[in-house]
Amino acid sequence: MSVIAPKFRVSEFLRSVLDNIFWIVVILTLVGIPLLQIILFYVPLPVYQGELINPFLTLTWISHPELALPLVKAFLLTDMFRIMAFPGFGFAALLAAGVIFVERKMLAKLQLRVGPFYCGKIEGILQLLGDGLKLISKEIIIPAKADKPIFIIAPLLFVGAAAAFVALIPVAPGWVVADVDLGLIGVFAVIGFFPIITVLASWSANSKYPFIGGIRALHQMVAFEIPLILSLLGIVILTGTLNLSEIVESQTNFPWIVFLPIGAIVFFIGMLAELERIPFDLPEAESEIVAGWLTEFSGMMYGLVQLGSYLKLYAFAALFVVLFLGGWNGPVFWPPLEETLIHEGETIGPLTVQTPGLPIFSMEFFSGVIWFILKTAAVIFFILLPRGVFPRIRIDLLLDLGWLKLIGLAFVNIFIALGLLYSGVIGPGGLM
Amino acid sequence: MSTDTETQTSETEAPEKKDVPAKPKEQLPEFEKGLTDKIVTKFREKTQIAFVKPNRIQINVKKEDIKDVAFFIRDDLGFDHAESVTGVDHPDQKEIEVVYHLGNYTDPKLAKQILALSTRAPREDNPNPGKDSTRLPSLREVFYSVEFHERECFEMLGVYFDGHPDNRRLLLPEDWADLPPLRKDFNIKGR
Amino acid sequence: MSAKLPPGLALQKVDERIMTLNVGPQHPGSGHMRLIIQVDGDYIVGCDPDPGYVHRGEEKMAEYRNYITNIPHLERPVIHDSCNILYPYCLATEEIVGIEVPERAKYVRVIASELNRCVYTMYWLAIYGIFLGHSTMFMWPAGDRELLIDLLEKMTGARVTHAYFVPGGVRNDVPANFEDVCLRQVNYFEKRIKEYADIFYNNPILIHRTEKAGILSREDAIRLGTTGSVLRASGVDFDVRTKEPYDAYGELDVHTNVLKEGDSLARSKIPWMDMLESCNIIRQALEKMPKSGTVRTKLKPNPKGGDVSVYKRVESGRGSLGCYIVSKSRPEPYRVKLSVGSFRNLIAIPYLLKGEKLGNMPAVYWSLNYWPVEADR
Repeated sequence: MSVIAPKFRVSEFLRSVLDNIFWIVVILTLVGIPLLQIILFYVPLPVYQGELINPFLTLTWISHPELALPLVKAFLLTDMFRIMAFPGFGFAALLAAGVIFVERKMLAKLQLRVGPFYCGKIEGILQLLGDGLKLISKEIIIPAKADKPIFIIAPLLFVGAAAAFVALIPVAPGWVVADVDLGLIGVFAVIGFFPIITVLASWSANSKYPFIGGIRALHQMVAFEIPLILSLLGIVILTGTLNLSEIVESQTNFPWIVFLPIGAIVFFIGMLAELERIPFDLPEAESEIVAGWLTEFSGMMYGLVQLGSYLKLYAFAALFVVLFLGGWNGPVFWPPLEETLIHEGETIGPLTVQTPGLPIFSMEFFSGVIWFILKTAAVIFFILLPRGVFPRIRIDLLLDLGWLKLIGLAFVNIFIALGLLYSGVIGPGGLM
Repeated sequence: MSTDTETQTSETEAPEKKDVPAKPKEQLPEFEKGLTDKIVTKFREKTQIAFVKPNRIQINVKKEDIKDVAFFIRDDLGFDHAESVTGVDHPDQKEIEVVYHLGNYTDPKLAKQILALSTRAPREDNPNPGKDSTRLPSLREVFYSVEFHERECFEMLGVYFDGHPDNRRLLLPEDWADLPPLRKDFNIKGR
Repeated sequence: MSAKLPPGLALQKVDERIMTLNVGPQHPGSGHMRLIIQVDGDYIVGCDPDPGYVHRGEEKMAEYRNYITNIPHLERPVIHDSCNILYPYCLATEEIVGIEVPERAKYVRVIASELNRCVYTMYWLAIYGIFLGHSTMFMWPAGDRELLIDLLEKMTGARVTHAYFVPGGVRNDVPANFEDVCLRQVNYFEKRIKEYADIFYNNPILIHRTEKAGILSREDAIRLGTTGSVLRASGVDFDVRTKEPYDAYGELDVHTNVLKEGDSLARSKIPWMDMLESCNIIRQALEKMPKSGTVRTKLKPNPKGGDVSVYKRVESGRGSLGCYIVSKSRPEPYRVKLSVGSFRNLIAIPYLLKGEKLGNMPAVYWSLNYWPVEADR
């Protein structure tokens, strides 16, 4: 569409410029100055070389970038960074986005198609960006008779619960958003949230198909929660701790899957059911009930629900890796860096003078993270694979599986763990 | 069941109702002739052999006797299902003819044969489907497979089948209030 | 609401326990027909099929057109399998008018008929995958079907609804190097569909869902008059191509696949086995086809026959398809009746669905090889 530009007049131009200046000044004074006061009064600024961080220091940093390193390191250790970027939301969201793309491509190749192809120069890499932009720009339609407060909050709760789940998973030694001593119980608690949120979301939409989908989701998730939790008891028995970081540390020599394979299988199947992945995707069975409990969500609400779903996927896969596959343990395959670079610059906090010590993290940290990502990617691959292979399971088979067979197998797993413990083969503290 | 080995010798000029009368001394196919002879011996003048061709036989029966003939065909000759039920409207003879094509699945000799059993029902000029004289006894007890075919015949031609549990519309919309469509008085608009 | 209802409608009292569901025409799991199902909890207690949503009055229209102009509209009931639905009509018309089909045309007809049968069966398998929630089972058949549609396009000029068979032969001859291309594509197609056994038919969840669902015993299958793959999956060895051979089937070696269980799994395997058989038939026909000759016997304009009635039948993708033509010495047929396999299998739907679980409904219903458009004509 072409817009016919009005004829240029200097007075109009000057007026517009003055207008902009006026509004910028107003906003700066009314909003910027109070913000500055708040920051100066309440946020504890780090002390650098004896003085508070102030804007003049930025000019020094521009000329000597290595002087800024301690500040960066300090920032990396704050809670804010942990929540938003590294083991928290940013990392998980990036992995989730990668997973969505890989899933679509992998499924397409399995089904002899091409998958996303046009968006982005190489095989549709930017497809997700396009989808995200589309979802943001769509109108959010709320059904007239829906229960508005709950309907609007439900996707946010979903993402919140998924993010809480992500917050409990340790990625590298010392790098957890929430280092809770009862980490595993925290995980169970958060998993128990999801059926409630699903039912709230589906019920508040006040329509037939979401309701059926929500009830099915409730049945399914509740049926599989018990075997999920029971399968992990074997690990708790053998490690004696509920703290996820300590569980990983106890696997320095061997992953737990070697001793408790049945528990791993039960956990994997329960995981597929909790994530509503095929073959357990009854709640969103497309050919029977349109889209299940997600039917009425549109626009960004749908985007949030999908984000929550894939965050949950990453978190479950990461949990599997942490509990059964050894977390970040793995041989360090890069050679360690030279001594001078490391030992003279690795103190925590910006209070000591640093020589140009560029490696912000140690090699062990990097290799730990790389191993973690590789293992998680392998588990996610196995979660995505059944989508192309299996049809949807029927409800009575699902309930039979969850309430009978898996609980039985989980108990077998517990007996194996108890047997290993009492026979003195292994226990908290490693091999006896 | 059929015992074809003792069919009669080939006959000439059997009472054919219609056929292109090319050669008057034509040999009729033996096996089919055997079947029709059995029917004729049992029912004599109640049935009328319309034609006997290789693999195809047609018998015309009056509507009062059709159930007995059908039972005989099913039990003694061995045809076990009805392939289709067709209604043909003959307004000039004021009759509607209903033809049942019967086939057999199990016996290898009979598997190629199709026996067309045809009856006629009187036709009225102002039909009131279900309540006028166009009625025929239903063959559903004899051949279970005619259930939906007879329903379609009812709605398309207005022939009511006595004894059918469910004379109801099948393909036409529920609010069809016009003539039964396959009658010749019902004209497609524009033709 | 007025007290007087239009004719054909009736009021029904709503029961507390039994719920009436409309698995209706606009449902992702039903095809274009409606099933009125009464459900008690999870069990189906009553089923009333309601076809007729795609009824076009083919038989009535056929009485207004002559034998040749009837062809394009009579093939529309099944667009993928259009050659097979014209086949008995052409055979019957040839008998009425009294002409003979040349040898080469017979073999070309056999090849086209078998290709159409495969195309239809792949489409049916794809929809079966969707009903069961298996997206790969939809994508693979829909993709592999393109190989055969490509062949048909080379042969006839159209992908579906070919209007290829005419009384007297086929409309035009196949292109020059058709035999080689056809052989290669059929060999590749056969290799592809053999891979389906691993992912579909040996899939534990598929087996779990379809085994012992909707069992049709042998006596019931015969008594109900079912036909095609439904019949052969219940243990009855009946195939029109072997029992009453027409055209070139008499010289070809056709093997009938029969399974004994009669459940949905058997009914979903038989069409796949039939497709493998079709590949064999096409290969034999390509070998035995006379290398030259006409493919069409010219008809006089406005062909007509005497006062005869003819019934011919053919094996199509759904079962035996019969065509009954009554002619009365006019260029238009007096009555044309298509006795289609889907309509004959319709009676099995309420018979099998009573007493089934609701979760089994898509698996059983679509395994009966019911094509709604054909049944409505």
